[in-house]
Amino acid sequence: MKCKEMGGAGGGNDIQWCFSQVKGAVDDDVAEADIISTVEFNHSGELLATGDKGGRVVIFQQEQENKIQSHSRGEYNVYSTFQSHEPEFDYLKSLEIEEKINKIRWLPQKNAAQFLLSTNDKTIKLWKISERDKRPEGYNLKEEDGRYRDPTTVTTLRVPVFRPMDLMVEASPRRIFANAHTYHINSISINSDYETYLSADDLRINLWHLEITDRSFNIVDIKPANMEELTEVITAAEFHPNSCNTFVYSSSKGTIRLCDMRASALCDRHSKLFEEPEDPSNRSFFSEIISSISDVKFSHSGRYMMTRDYLSVKIWDLNMENRPVETYQVHEYLRSKLCSLYENDCIFDKFECCWNGSDSVVMTGSYNNFFRMFDRNTKRDITLEASRENNKPRTVLKPRKVCASGKRKKDEISVDSLDFNKKILHTAWHPKENIIAVATTNNLYIFQDKVN
Amino acid sequence: MEFKLEAHRIVSISLGKIYNSRVQRGGIKLHKNLLVSLVLRSARQVYLSDPCPGLYLAGPAGSPAMPPPPQQQQQQPGEPAAGPPAGWGEPPPPPPARAAWPEPEPQPERPAAPVTGAGDAPRGGEVEAAEAAWRRVEGAREAAEGGAAGPAGGSDGFPEGPRGTRRQCGCPPGAEDRPGAPGACPRLACCCAPRPAEDEPPAPPAVGPRKRGAAGVGGGPAGGPASGSSPLKKPRRNSEEQPGGAAAAAAEEEEMETGNVANLISIFGSSFSGLLRKSPGGGREEAEGEESGAEAAEPGQICCDKPVLRDMNPWSTAIVAF
Repeated sequence: MKCKEMGGAGGGNDIQWCFSQVKGAVDDDVAEADIISTVEFNHSGELLATGDKGGRVVIFQQEQENKIQSHSRGEYNVYSTFQSHEPEFDYLKSLEIEEKINKIRWLPQKNAAQFLLSTNDKTIKLWKISERDKRPEGYNLKEEDGRYRDPTTVTTLRVPVFRPMDLMVEASPRRIFANAHTYHINSISINSDYETYLSADDLRINLWHLEITDRSFNIVDIKPANMEELTEVITAAEFHPNSCNTFVYSSSKGTIRLCDMRASALCDRHSKLFEEPEDPSNRSFFSEIISSISDVKFSHSGRYMMTRDYLSVKIWDLNMENRPVETYQVHEYLRSKLCSLYENDCIFDKFECCWNGSDSVVMTGSYNNFFRMFDRNTKRDITLEASRENNKPRTVLKPRKVCASGKRKKDEISVDSLDFNKKILHTAWHPKENIIAVATTNNLYIFQDKVN
Repeated sequence: MEFKLEAHRIVSISLGKIYNSRVQRGGIKLHKNLLVSLVLRSARQVYLSDPCPGLYLAGPAGSPAMPPPPQQQQQQPGEPAAGPPAGWGEPPPPPPARAAWPEPEPQPERPAAPVTGAGDAPRGGEVEAAEAAWRRVEGAREAAEGGAAGPAGGSDGFPEGPRGTRRQCGCPPGAEDRPGAPGACPRLACCCAPRPAEDEPPAPPAVGPRKRGAAGVGGGPAGGPASGSSPLKKPRRNSEEQPGGAAAAAAEEEEMETGNVANLISIFGSSFSGLLRKSPGGGREEAEGEESGAEAAEPGQICCDKPVLRDMNPWSTAIVAF
């Protein structure tokens, strides 16, 4: 059923990726509030959530496609939009707290409603998204518009009934988990027990119960007694997909620590430490910055984890701590540009990475609205571009190539022409299908593999 | 040597970033500031470990051109000072004059800057230096409008900084305005000796309006045009000690140049000085989540080698202290 034609460099079983949809303003002038800051599919892939700098969450729902004539999979359309976080001011510290949504994580569906956690720098919220498609009518004491009737005018009684109405999707905050983080929250991760979750800031990781908002347990604390001795911070954390006692956290020094909550209440001592020795020939002023890990993701199987640092993606086998089993260079041609990238702050960009459903392909973003996929089996990689120029549905994306040095071939782009304002930091892969969501600054692109 | 120049530039960029982070929305980002301080530490180590900067001859007058923000790279091909693989292999650029710190050799009088017009040569030069320094501090606000601003929204790069610094020695990197004469400087091989009237208008387009503006505003007494920034600069100017009277003009000019740098240091205090100090001790308690203390400490007080520091010029004081 899937098209097996060669699609250029081909990533992932020679999939041909096609443009499907793009969401967001066409404007070149990007309003800061519209900058997308997180993208996440839910567990079934039917829902796709995005968070932005303005504190809003937009959820898209996939249309139920007609199974018989599946020319393409269903389109994603807006399902719900709500303001998750508002800007706040901490008067005690004279600090403004940004409303930007740092992460969204979906809970597995247990009933008709959907639940997700969204977080800004300081506060995590549990949102319930529910549908309402009928309403009660025929009250005795209330008019249809809600006004109360005078009981003396009631002459007969009737039983109210539910009547259908236009579908309404409501989002309501069910829990607010606040005041537990002194530093900026960078990660949230739901445990496989579906009852607890962790939240991580620069120096601490807290364990919460989804039902309890007034307390959390601190499980990792790397704050030194003297802040001047600080040498590393926590950059990302995630629970193991299957073992509810295991989680990992990555650091700005390029290390990943795996912790077992059964070992002790405070998991400051790791069970495993994953670290690759630095290549001394690559040493520069910026070695430390580029080794800082910006994202860590377990594979669906739980056997591997993937880390993203500035220039590469590394796959680690949980059973081997001293080096990754696979390393993929995302944009090695930037290594000679680190000083400029430091100047313009691009070197601090935090790229995320993701696995496909079968853990055979990994994807991450780059600059110039490029994103990269690496097929772990075939060892092939592909660079694609998210651009409105290819926006006819079912247009196959052409592989892109960056010319690092020397003569630039036709259709190649030289490093100097890359637009570093156009960065793809957030990508997500449908848990089951070959559908990907790629966020440029303020647009969300959806690509699918070519069907038929 | 090119390491030192690179390090010098990186230090000033880093200081600018830390300074800007204080006004960023959402509070100070611990992670980013930690990374910047690590870079600062590396650059400082290189900067301080290079023993004899004066011995490195400048071949060509041109030092590596300021790598422009990436989107302007078409103006300046290549990435000469970008990173070690590229940077290390380059011919050493003329080091800045101030690199020979303890020497109280007077810097030759600079000719009157044409733009400043009225006023004595040294005054004009000082004003320019003040302007340049002031512009650097103001760079954060201007970065959005300035031509040389970085691409990222809220970028706090300081492209002007090192350029302004190099103006101190009269050798702006572009070499577009300083055609050689490497042997001219009596003290150093850098082409900085007679301050030519190159500082101002011939600034390359990539440098942009800011540099021109810095010079263009000029004129008038030193106190005037710099008044916009004086709250920051004046106290430092007055309180900084001068290393040797003979170098009064040069030193004072240098001090103005670095005065705001030293000020930046004191403003954000001894953040992560545990990383940066050679020896432990000293330093202040950090408030939670707020690693930039705002205490106005003298830079010399942060490091324990106070007596030594007093003898060094403000720039190196700032480096060591930080």
